[in-house]
Amino acid sequence: MSNEFEPKVVAFVCNWCTYTGADLTGTSRIKYASNVKIIRFPCTGRIDFMLLLKAFANGSDGVIVSGCHPNDCHYTSGNFHARRRWMLFRNLLDFLGIDIRRIRFAWVSAAEGAKWAEVVNETVAQLKDLGPYTEYQKATEFLVANENELTEEMEANHA
Amino acid sequence: MRELQDTVKALFDKGEIDLFIGYEKGTRTPRPFFVHKAEDAENLIFDAACSGNLAVYLTRKDLTGGKKTGISASYYALKSIAQLFDENQLKAENLRIFGVSEEGSVQFFDSVAAIKQHLSATPPPAKPDEDELVGKINAMTASERWKFWSDELSKCFKCYACRAACPMCYCTKCIVEVNRPQWIQPWASTLSNMEWQINRVMHLAGRCSDCGSCGTACPLGIPVHLLTHKMSETVKEHFGVSETKENVLSTFKPDDKENFIH
Amino acid sequence: MSKIGVFVCHCGENISATVDCESVANTASQIEGVAFATDYKYMCSEPGQMRIKDAIREKGLDGVVVAACSPRMHEPTFRKTCAEAGLNPFLCEMSNIREHCSWVHEKSGETTDKAISLVRMLVEKVKRNKPLNPIKVPITKKALVIGGGIAGIQAALDIAGAGQKVILVERDPSIGGHMSQLSETFPTLDCSQCILTPRMVDIAQHPNITLYAYAELEKLEGFIGNFKATIRLKAKSVDHKTCTGCGACMTKCPSKKIPSEFNEGLGMRTAIYTPFPQAVPNKPIIDRVNCRYYTTGKCKVCEKICPTGAIQFDREDEFITEDIGAVVLATGFNVLKPDFFPEYGYGKYADVITGLQFERLASASGPTMGVIRRPSDGKIPQKVVFIACAGSRDPAKGIPYCSKICCMYTAKHAMLYQHKVHEGESYVFYMDIRAGGKNYEEFVRRAIEEDGAHYIRGRVARIYEKDGKMVVKGVDTLLGAQQVEIEADMVVLATAGVANGGAEDLAQKMHVSYDPYKFFAEAHPKLKPVETNTAGIYLCGACQAPKDIPDTVSMASGAAAKVIGLFSNAELTREPTIAVVNRIATHDVSTCVGCFLCETACPYQAIEHEEIKNRNGEVIKTVARVNPGLCQGCGTCVSFCRSKSIDIQGFSNEQMFAEVMSLVAEY
Repeated sequence: MSNEFEPKVVAFVCNWCTYTGADLTGTSRIKYASNVKIIRFPCTGRIDFMLLLKAFANGSDGVIVSGCHPNDCHYTSGNFHARRRWMLFRNLLDFLGIDIRRIRFAWVSAAEGAKWAEVVNETVAQLKDLGPYTEYQKATEFLVANENELTEEMEANHA
Repeated sequence: MRELQDTVKALFDKGEIDLFIGYEKGTRTPRPFFVHKAEDAENLIFDAACSGNLAVYLTRKDLTGGKKTGISASYYALKSIAQLFDENQLKAENLRIFGVSEEGSVQFFDSVAAIKQHLSATPPPAKPDEDELVGKINAMTASERWKFWSDELSKCFKCYACRAACPMCYCTKCIVEVNRPQWIQPWASTLSNMEWQINRVMHLAGRCSDCGSCGTACPLGIPVHLLTHKMSETVKEHFGVSETKENVLSTFKPDDKENFIH
Repeated sequence: MSKIGVFVCHCGENISATVDCESVANTASQIEGVAFATDYKYMCSEPGQMRIKDAIREKGLDGVVVAACSPRMHEPTFRKTCAEAGLNPFLCEMSNIREHCSWVHEKSGETTDKAISLVRMLVEKVKRNKPLNPIKVPITKKALVIGGGIAGIQAALDIAGAGQKVILVERDPSIGGHMSQLSETFPTLDCSQCILTPRMVDIAQHPNITLYAYAELEKLEGFIGNFKATIRLKAKSVDHKTCTGCGACMTKCPSKKIPSEFNEGLGMRTAIYTPFPQAVPNKPIIDRVNCRYYTTGKCKVCEKICPTGAIQFDREDEFITEDIGAVVLATGFNVLKPDFFPEYGYGKYADVITGLQFERLASASGPTMGVIRRPSDGKIPQKVVFIACAGSRDPAKGIPYCSKICCMYTAKHAMLYQHKVHEGESYVFYMDIRAGGKNYEEFVRRAIEEDGAHYIRGRVARIYEKDGKMVVKGVDTLLGAQQVEIEADMVVLATAGVANGGAEDLAQKMHVSYDPYKFFAEAHPKLKPVETNTAGIYLCGACQAPKDIPDTVSMASGAAAKVIGLFSNAELTREPTIAVVNRIATHDVSTCVGCFLCETACPYQAIEHEEIKNRNGEVIKTVARVNPGLCQGCGTCVSFCRSKSIDIQGFSNEQMFAEVMSLVAEY
């Protein structure tokens, strides 16, 4: 085993397009990085933004969110709703300084087995460049980590 | 001022209201004032300093439950009231809504349509301070922004004043109280504070009046209103101003434009 | 504490070649809540399934994870296995360690580790699975068919033929639609009326079919199996119960100069009229806009002449409601109207006509008795120009699509013209010839090679009149864009097929989606061509997109088959993986605050309003409720709900949360 950093990636995908597309990657025996683990949702419309945050908070270095291309949604419009959600969510995260380069949004259809492998490999390569996302997780222990700084600040304020 | 007081007095005399929500003089700034009888109307004031969003009280059942209520509403309060109507939280027959200009002249609104018409004809008050601060944060690098917000939010001890001050936060069970699953850790930590704010702001997308009461309410002065202000701007930029009651996140256009889904 | 069984499949060597299945099973057995774990060469084989059944019975398992191939492959198999052993099938989940693991990674410790995490993830999910039972919805076995053209007629006859009740609603005074206007049909040249009218008569006589002509759908409420339709019966001013259809009123009516819709304005009709002699029902109605009595208050000639006293001037629109189980939309299309082509002079020159008007000229029952005479002076035209793609495939005109039928009917028109006017010359301007279909290409070749139609590839720029002739100026792109000028006696435009008037209104009434051109949208362009996105509402024919008669009829039979299939069960059984609004404890409480923003998020109109009442019957609160008949289980509402008051069975918040946490917990 090499000592190279292996990012941990959770993939949130819809049942009808990307999950099936990833099945096709398998059937076609196209190899991709094993860092990615797929969670199956009925539809991208079902993917709660909180689940993405939970993944980051608990040790994920990146996430992939993928579903049917526009107009291909099994439920006609779940992906359109999801698209709006991600537009606002991504903007908000960026405003908060959360590293949005670590969230890869994709449309992968049931026929795009090769594309799924590409999406995974690109994401993993990008995350290897970015390194582990400890910043976000450390925020849990922000008080401990910044105790000295905060004490100084408080004293200065009271002085 | 006089006009408002007289109007309210008359409403009580005619038995049209049991409660009027307005402002009275406070120690430093005006404070919310609940008029229960005609003679108390004397204390009502309204001026530029009455900038809070009184609409927040309309969904408090312990206060307004079963009462015919009147309210003096600022621009933002009117915006929230219109939104609350769209979300089926208010009943027109129990409500007397008055818009009050800074000079104190009174305008009665007899319907939601009238409020909406007024709002679409009135440009929203400028927010130079907020715009400047948001501009400053936008100009930072991502890691500077992260530093800024994690620093700010590290101070939060989850008093939820931001929620209490918000007219749109009327859920009987807020997401922070949902524990199956426990979406947000109940104790205060920078991360869970941040998760709370992200949820709050996402939940307010397209519903927020941008009144800034959340920021004013924060006892620690965390500028959480910048988050909602930024969100309001983002919504406007991407989806324009909605004329219908549908929420920005509960609707879509097939040709919504983004550049990050590949 | 859960008692979950984990069954790891080798899939021959498909999994075990890269994943250490034994190690996966061993590690799985250590997971909290796992009571039993094993691996086997082929879990889906009979002995494999027996292992699962035995373990369920012997170990008293309350959940099963099968780590094997994709759930899209074998989830039904293993759920059935569990059900056979007495375990609720929805307590079984599959962990995909083949397509998502063994087939896409090299043999290594990491690959086995990933398989273990995937198993762990599903174990955490299954711990939170709840037993679910299929949802049963009662079905009213009566179909509503909207539109009485060939699509609606075919669908109604098929459904009625299968022994089910049908209500057929037609907007016009007679059924028959556009097909009844056609002269002959491609590619066989059989007479349209000859093949259509017997079917129209079948509709009138079928004991299972109730026909409401001159009626429109007013309102549709409810959901699949349980719709309530309100139908507006427009006032006919003639009592069809007493009317014998003798026609005396029509011969005596003094308003005789009304352009006939059926003849596309090339013939006239009276104010009391049947659209055409073979109309079904063959009883007249009064067109109040043009009737002398309704416009001037004097006349009543028809009333005096009617031998049965059937004329009733004071009748008003009536409304009836019907309980129905399914709807078939068959409202057809229309052709683009004149003002669209100022450069072609339609409307300005009487001898520039539409294809549909040419049909009437060529029809034996038409205004000219089938002799091709040009409208201006009744002369037989010696030179006719046909222009294909008049409006179609013209993004500048707002119609980028191909109207599909024009190439074929234009060839037919040229052919019919040549058959009727032997010495005449016909010219066809076309962009491309699209003759995909059985015997279609041969048909076009025949028009060109045997009947001598001159085909010119190019567009017509302008048409103007000169000495009683229509001068057609265009280019021939096959001759290097050479200018072509033809002095014709008549010009026929193959105008674009467009959505029928009122399509948008109707779609909104029924909550059916439509495309930018107002054609109704099918639920899936390939796999659900006759379904709409609203369960229980089907569609067929040209209301979905322009199409020819064979395609329309097959689509109508397809839609009918869907209705018959639906009606073949006493109840509708649906997967229980649907959204549910929480109702806590005593069922009096819900955390739903009734903002109903989920209502617009739902693609299926499945969100209803439910009133929670106190003991005195007073409404305390109105909350959302999901109609289990309509919900398809996408879960968009679930992630949208702020207070998490709505959840989806099978992909619940707790389940999905646990899956994420199990993956990251290992880090």
